Amino acid sequence: MPVKLSSAPPNLSAVESVNLSLSTLQPVIEPKQKDSTDGEKAVKKLRQGALAVFGSTFLTIFLSEMGDKTQVATLLMSAESQSPWLVFAGASSALVATSLLGCLLGRWLANRVSPQMLKTAAGVSLLFIAVQLLWEITHY
Amino acid sequence: MFDWHLVGLSFITVFLSELGDKSQLAAIALSGSSKFPRAVFLGSAGALLLTSFLGVLAGEGASVLLPVRLVKAIAAIGFALMAVRLLWPEGDLPED
Repeated sequence: MPVKLSSAPPNLSAVESVNLSLSTLQPVIEPKQKDSTDGEKAVKKLRQGALAVFGSTFLTIFLSEMGDKTQVATLLMSAESQSPWLVFAGASSALVATSLLGCLLGRWLANRVSPQMLKTAAGVSLLFIAVQLLWEITHY
Repeated sequence: MFDWHLVGLSFITVFLSELGDKSQLAAIALSGSSKFPRAVFLGSAGALLLTSFLGVLAGEGASVLLPVRLVKAIAAIGFALMAVRLLWPEGDLPED
């Protein structure tokens, strides 16, 4: 099965309701107007949700990686070499690659594992990360 | 001359050190359970880019780093909150 990072978000209720209204024999114009405002609302809600997900992911990963081994390695390599921006080019493409791999793996799992199971596993993983961070704080 | 060797070396070093590390685990967990895997990818990649950018800046001269322990403690709280949100029984939280 092909893994798609951009798999459609599940609550496409606006699109569904458009399809529904097209399938019924009601006058076309009135439901269409209603659906377009509903659609705008849904799009707005989706955008806010995506923004919240982006923000929380960005913040937690940014804070957890500050002073972490990868950053220290980047720091040391760029200090040693005469061209820090080449180090940045290598490091940044590696980081984009690892996050892309992570997200693809997450989507792949989402297609295979039940949502409830996935939610529990994801929650446990995040708790594990929190504990790991606390361990790093106390042992360095 | 463009030093491909250096780019390749830093790519491999960082790639191997991040493979299976906590930020990648977080990316797997969050993208698997979220409706917005693309937002998770952009957030994760953006955050990692910023940390390595800051690493390069700090390497160039001023080695002024943030209080790492405090920052990590905040990150731990953030991850714990997201974990609780995922593990909390359905229905108690507003639908998002």
